[in-house]
Amino acid sequence: MSATAMSLRSGWRGLAFIAIPVTAIAIFLFYPAALSIIGTLVRPAPGGGYTFSLQSYIFFFTDSYSLANLARTLWTTVVTLVLLIAVNLPIALYMRFTKGRLAAVIQALALFPMFVPGIIICYALIRYMGPNGWLQSLLSLVGFHHYASPHLTPWGPVVGLIWDGMPLTLLILISGLSNVSDASIEAARDVGAGRLRILVSIITPEITHSLLIVSALNFLGIFGQVLMPFMLGPTNPEMMGPFMLRTFSSVRDPLQASTQATITFLICSLAGVAYVRSIARRQREDRT
Amino acid sequence: MLRRDFLKCSAAGAGMLLAGPRIAFAAPGVLDIFFNSDTNVIDFWTQVVKPGFEAANPGVTMNLVPGGGGSGINTLADRAYAAFQAKKDPQVDMLEAAAPFYPAGSLEAGLWIDFAKAGLSNYDKVNPVVVQSPALLPYRGSQVVLMYNSAVVKEAPSTFAGLVEWIKANPGQFAYARPDLGDSGACFVERALQEVTGQKPELFLPDNYTDDYAKPMFEKLWPLLKDIQPALFNGGEYTSGNTASIQLLASGAVAMTVAWSDMALQAMSQGVVPDTTAVAQLQDLAFTGGFSGVIVPSVAGNKEAALKLADFLISPDIQNRVVTDLGGFPGIKWEFLSKDLQEKFAKVTPKSIPIFPSTWEPVLFEAWYRNVASDLKR
Repeated sequence: MSATAMSLRSGWRGLAFIAIPVTAIAIFLFYPAALSIIGTLVRPAPGGGYTFSLQSYIFFFTDSYSLANLARTLWTTVVTLVLLIAVNLPIALYMRFTKGRLAAVIQALALFPMFVPGIIICYALIRYMGPNGWLQSLLSLVGFHHYASPHLTPWGPVVGLIWDGMPLTLLILISGLSNVSDASIEAARDVGAGRLRILVSIITPEITHSLLIVSALNFLGIFGQVLMPFMLGPTNPEMMGPFMLRTFSSVRDPLQASTQATITFLICSLAGVAYVRSIARRQREDRT
Repeated sequence: MLRRDFLKCSAAGAGMLLAGPRIAFAAPGVLDIFFNSDTNVIDFWTQVVKPGFEAANPGVTMNLVPGGGGSGINTLADRAYAAFQAKKDPQVDMLEAAAPFYPAGSLEAGLWIDFAKAGLSNYDKVNPVVVQSPALLPYRGSQVVLMYNSAVVKEAPSTFAGLVEWIKANPGQFAYARPDLGDSGACFVERALQEVTGQKPELFLPDNYTDDYAKPMFEKLWPLLKDIQPALFNGGEYTSGNTASIQLLASGAVAMTVAWSDMALQAMSQGVVPDTTAVAQLQDLAFTGGFSGVIVPSVAGNKEAALKLADFLISPDIQNRVVTDLGGFPGIKWEFLSKDLQEKFAKVTPKSIPIFPSTWEPVLFEAWYRNVASDLKR
């Protein structure tokens, strides 16, 4: 048997292997999503037939209320993302270069949120950082009396989402940092590079890929969040997740809800494309 | 209320997967009852209804299953309708806190038993003002009340105008939930709407909503709600639900809020709110309320036993316990309850419980978000 036939055959076998998950995704994800997206564009016309209409999108983009919600979602996503990396990168660096019991404890603490359901975190955070909560009591004990609770303000969901996003961010950054070889750092040290120079010139280039993945995955996770903004955020402006849910279930306007969902999907797919391209480039680099 | 635990509802799908297979082997004499209500209600059934009914009816066992929220219950109703059309046993004997209006057409087709014609010995006692449909047997109600800390609030307002005055005189001390997230907040907005339209609940009927009819009334509502906004909690913030409102009261962040009577009484008996917490009802026109009932499919395998249970539920014994143990309102007329309870609750319970039609709510709530909440300055 020739090599081509062999690879062709294993190719078919591979395809058969992924056929079930791909079919499941197509049936349960792509098909209903496509129906929903098409449904926002093509609608039954009065008196039979269908018409193409961008009306629901025009409404969204001319409605200051909807636009404020979109802007709030982008703000929350970007602020949370920046803070997540700012908080987790030092921890990841510490854990990359330190061995021992303390590092293990810190890792366990940082991964702990992964095992706590979001709803529990929400209620716990309300009690902790809410008005007259524990944090406020502790602060007033040490003489600080000007605490303004982030609960029910735009910062509420930011705090919750950082809590929620920490484990994933940390795990990806740690795995990225493990690619940085000790040898290259020592080589740099030998030629007289300082700590900052090592961070900027040796470590950062090695983990840009991880940073990109962290940003893309967190962007997807945060942008569509429902629970945290819904429990901890202000009444208005809403984030897209609670806004869609409310438009669908309370306003009972499925058309506008799917329009909001499609817009959310398009914005998130930008992050998705960045993620996929990053993975693909990585694979190319690994091969060469 | 059905929408109270919004999050629970969204987990309904997962709940159904668990509940589904378990009831596949319905046995004769085992009543399969599915609950839409929260755990406090299921506890009440486990501790009060089940022992009493099983002792009175040897050979009957009640299987109490949490239905997993609104969509879970709807799936069971779908199954009952499918079984009805196929003339088979749906293995559903009773649905709790469900309504006979789903699936569409099922009520007309005769899927749900008409309790008025079912020969229940206690049916005469049912309070006619709380009956929405003869196929829905109301057995417990709750009502929105003012819940406040009596250490701070010496005398609770007894009229809505008095409440508004109190809110403005005590900035930051009152909070209500966003209307779509907590029905207590919805009832506050609805009561405000009734206030600005002259305290006439009869203006709002299930079938009379039109944009033209409602708009002038809504236009009168927004100035009132915007007027009190700066005096609300945190300069005009709204809580994310019934529990969140009670939490604010518990932490002392506010001195007064609106809450469901059963949740308020339960929070008080569990001690999660200060000892000085009290409840009061407006005496000019009460906050709206709602009743939960049971429905029974006409093709249920244990129909006779299910009807006996329905009759047992509206017996004065159980209805007394609904008031004392569940903090609810009775589905039967108060005159059939014990004398003590009639006297004890005379102050809290007005003679009628106004019900605001749910058909008005989607538009009202959306308009609230756009007209009231969006006015927040920060």
